[in-house]
Amino acid sequence: MSDLENLVEALIFVSQEPVTLERLQAVLEGVPAADIRAAVDALAAGYEEGGRGIHIVRAGGGWLFATKPAHDREVRRLLQIERRSRLSPAGLETLAAIAYRQPVTQSEVSAIRGVDSTGALKTLLEKKLVKIVGRKKAPGSPLVYRTSDEFLLYLGLDSLDELPSEEEIARILEEEKAADA
Amino acid sequence: MPEPAFEIPPAEEAARAPSAGAGDGYQVRLGVFEGPLDLLLFLIRKKRIDIHDIPIAAITRDYLGYLERKTEIDLDREAEFLFIAALLIYIKSQMLLPRETDLAEGEDPRRILVDRLVEYQKVKAACALLREKEDAQILQWKRDFLPPLPGGGEPEPVELALFDLAESFFLLMKRRAAETTRTIRGRDVSVEAKMKELVGLLRERHMIDFLEYFEAHASLEEALISFFCVLELVKSRQAAARQDELFRTIRVWLRKDARGTAAHE
Repeated sequence: MSDLENLVEALIFVSQEPVTLERLQAVLEGVPAADIRAAVDALAAGYEEGGRGIHIVRAGGGWLFATKPAHDREVRRLLQIERRSRLSPAGLETLAAIAYRQPVTQSEVSAIRGVDSTGALKTLLEKKLVKIVGRKKAPGSPLVYRTSDEFLLYLGLDSLDELPSEEEIARILEEEKAADA
Repeated sequence: MPEPAFEIPPAEEAARAPSAGAGDGYQVRLGVFEGPLDLLLFLIRKKRIDIHDIPIAAITRDYLGYLERKTEIDLDREAEFLFIAALLIYIKSQMLLPRETDLAEGEDPRRILVDRLVEYQKVKAACALLREKEDAQILQWKRDFLPPLPGGGEPEPVELALFDLAESFFLLMKRRAAETTRTIRGRDVSVEAKMKELVGLLRERHMIDFLEYFEAHASLEEALISFFCVLELVKSRQAAARQDELFRTIRVWLRKDARGTAAHE
């Protein structure tokens, strides 16, 4: 491993949130971005290859360490966590509506779903998957919501551009149709 | 009542599978559906109808049939289902009206409903994809999610003087007071419901950040009630709270022995 790889490894290791290329550049004064990126890629490839318990994942615009999925059970045993709960269907639906229509208000989300979404929205706020970004200039000045950085991390997305595209969604719908026929 | 904040994800498809029963052979509980649009999509799929050319009369009949069979929906949910029923009936009436000239394409009275259904259908499909991502991520532990290692060094229950806790709370209230508020009274919150919510959240997140938690609360009243709940949980030794440094935030987590059983009575 090159010195740069070692260095980058240390920097990603200590960080609790994704380390962006910009952050690495700021720390590693004078090292070209392309070199840093190559070092991270080489490092990440090394972790994926060999018998390692952790790997480097790309999410939220940066890199961070995560345990490999195969070790989930033992990690939970160490932390004494029985299971990690997933979002409820209502929570996920609300999150999806916000992710695709942001910035949105509660009533807009409720209209998309045809269901009052106040409770689900509150849960998402508490889980920090969405955030309030201001108020809309409309009667009642309703709060406006967006997805948070934690949201990207939660779903392992690098940015909002990585949300399932229109084409992917259309394909799912086609598959459903085919399944019915 | 708003929707439940947490629920155990049901095996959706299994729950929707038609069970042998009276009538047309389909007995489906309304509670299984996320809402009226979900029910409508289900009916459309069941009949293998093109979403852009819905036979309104038939679908309205089916839809109302389901509403009549409902047994367990509460009033708020019922209102949402009835709203779409009213919309269906309105569209049906519009379709029946005689017209002198044929409608131009954009003027189909079904349009308002179809647009909503199409949009909702997309959200639902996106959900399936996002769920896959969630499932993949949930198995990979990142350092920002880790609570302190349990066992061994679990601190004594009251590490924190009541005044410290109160001080943090007042700090928060001050921050709140500084906001230019425009208050519209919300619904009342009961201590009981809040307690349940808080315990649920602690179980789920294993540790919460005191100040952040309260900042997420809409009203002062609600924040106050949450504060009492934290005090109560600490007092009954179900939760522990710890402040690492003066004026810093306070972390709250369920005590180990309470993790399995913690419930407010």
